[in-house]
Amino acid sequence: MADKRVYEVMFIAAPETADEDVAKLNEAITKLIETEGGSIIKLEDMGRRKLAYPINKKNEGYYVLFEIEGSGKEIFELERRMRVNDTIMRYLTVRVDEERKTAQKLTDKRESRQKRNNERNRSSAVSKNETEEFTAAEAQDNQ
Amino acid sequence: MDKKPKKLDGEDEIIDIDLGSEMRNEKMPRRFQRRRQSQFVPDYIDWKDVDFLKRFTPERGKIMPRRISGVSAKDQRRVATAIKRARAMALIPFVTD
Repeated sequence: MADKRVYEVMFIAAPETADEDVAKLNEAITKLIETEGGSIIKLEDMGRRKLAYPINKKNEGYYVLFEIEGSGKEIFELERRMRVNDTIMRYLTVRVDEERKTAQKLTDKRESRQKRNNERNRSSAVSKNETEEFTAAEAQDNQ
Repeated sequence: MDKKPKKLDGEDEIIDIDLGSEMRNEKMPRRFQRRRQSQFVPDYIDWKDVDFLKRFTPERGKIMPRRISGVSAKDQRRVATAIKRARAMALIPFVTD
């Protein structure tokens, strides 16, 4: 497991948790990840939000999103601690690097295809007189 | 209500698609209006993007079937996964009554 993986970890803290306590919690998580050999790419404090449905009889929650790069070991430890922590009502970890990679591939493919099409259109526009029929058919294709 | 088509529970919209021979009757001619790709799906579906996922969960909060949204099978799977993740984090509801 030498390769780097990217995870998104989101958790919902109880709404009555004070802002300082959440900040402290975030700090503790950052420290934990770094000692375990991972690194924080992004920390997004989404603040208090209304829940779509009640969790533990509460209608609000404090959302925090982490983006972590690492081997997966630190995620295991982090999840174990979050399970024990009473202020955290719920958490979810999603591995995102592979999905992002395939998405990027799709985007690249589309862009290169578009470029190719554009170039073909330009070159066919130059030799318009000779191959008028051909360009007309192609224009229809591109529509 | 004298029209024949059955309503799926909670689904208010009746979409003009031929759903099968048992739903056809004499007065209503068979329709071949298949909706194709009425929704745009980006390359990367973010499970945190509530506004996007809402488009696939009409009123009741159910996941919109493929025959209505018209997305590809692959995209449907990705959308469904994203919706389920968002539900787990209470970003969108499981059900709305």
